Amino acid sequence: MDKMTEEQYRAISNMLRKRSLWMLHYCTGCGAMELPPTMTSRYDMERFGIVPYVTPRQADILLVTGYVNVKTLKRIITVYEQMLDPKYVIGFGSCAINGGIYYDSYSVINRLDAYIPVDVYIAGCMPRPEAIITMFKHLMNLIDSGKADGYKRYKQNYEFYKNNQRKVLG
Amino acid sequence: MSVLDKIKGIEGVNVKVQRDNRIFVDVKEDKLISVLYVLKNIGFNQLSLLSAVDRINEEQFEVFYVLYSNREKVNCIVRTYIPRDNPKLVTAAIIYPPAHAYEREIAEMFGIKVEGNADAGKPFILENFKGDVPPLRKDFNSMKYVNAHFQPFRHHDEVELEAKDE
Repeated sequence: MDKMTEEQYRAISNMLRKRSLWMLHYCTGCGAMELPPTMTSRYDMERFGIVPYVTPRQADILLVTGYVNVKTLKRIITVYEQMLDPKYVIGFGSCAINGGIYYDSYSVINRLDAYIPVDVYIAGCMPRPEAIITMFKHLMNLIDSGKADGYKRYKQNYEFYKNNQRKVLG
Repeated sequence: MSVLDKIKGIEGVNVKVQRDNRIFVDVKEDKLISVLYVLKNIGFNQLSLLSAVDRINEEQFEVFYVLYSNREKVNCIVRTYIPRDNPKLVTAAIIYPPAHAYEREIAEMFGIKVEGNADAGKPFILENFKGDVPPLRKDFNSMKYVNAHFQPFRHHDEVELEAKDE
């Protein structure tokens, strides 16, 4: 057998990675309400290899549901930095995209991807379980083609993200 | 003697009955503590809520205490009005201990000074709040604060390009 090149190795590991996504759901907002039907037998996301997990160190996906305020942003960054590479962030619902109905609130940040890199967004208020499953399939395609590189972007543009975080968190 | 008659018998109060189990009591700020004391003795043993409303057109804060009587099953809402510039309140934590935390909240959210409560004015809920006007006052410009302190919304690709440029 020939020696495996690095690209081949990466292609195989990406193919395996996309079939076992362990998810840490950080349920700050009302979006968490749509997760129980997605997890349980009606939509059963475990058939895609996606399992809800409890600790950041063993998880691949950080699912941020709903609005993020200044207090929870601090904890989300801590959790995100505890996770091991490769890691993917999902912005769930319109609040994570642009603030949603809390766009002018004194304590809710408008854009999640200014503070941590977001790989996939789901639009909607609330996104249905079908939308969540579609998003997971989209994320799998991104992982397979090597385009889900949020954790690399975080390292490359570390100063950009840290400056934004410092501006809010002081 | 019903509980309504007892409340009407208190000196210096203006009673308004909205429903059978909901009585509004308007009281001047200097009589507030004594009225609360009498109400507790009548049987209003629980403080359900203490909060404030910014009546900016009348230049005053409305501070209200929602009391509940377990025996009579009646809500009594005690309202008092304090001036908007240099607002001051005397603590009710001696009569109703849960008022301690509520007073800290209105001190932070409205900038009301609470005399007798040592913790009022200390940081309570807000983290890294940099505005100079307390956030629940009506003259707090929320949109201006958001634009000054948080990243405004732009498209995802734009942010990536920006990150790459830097």
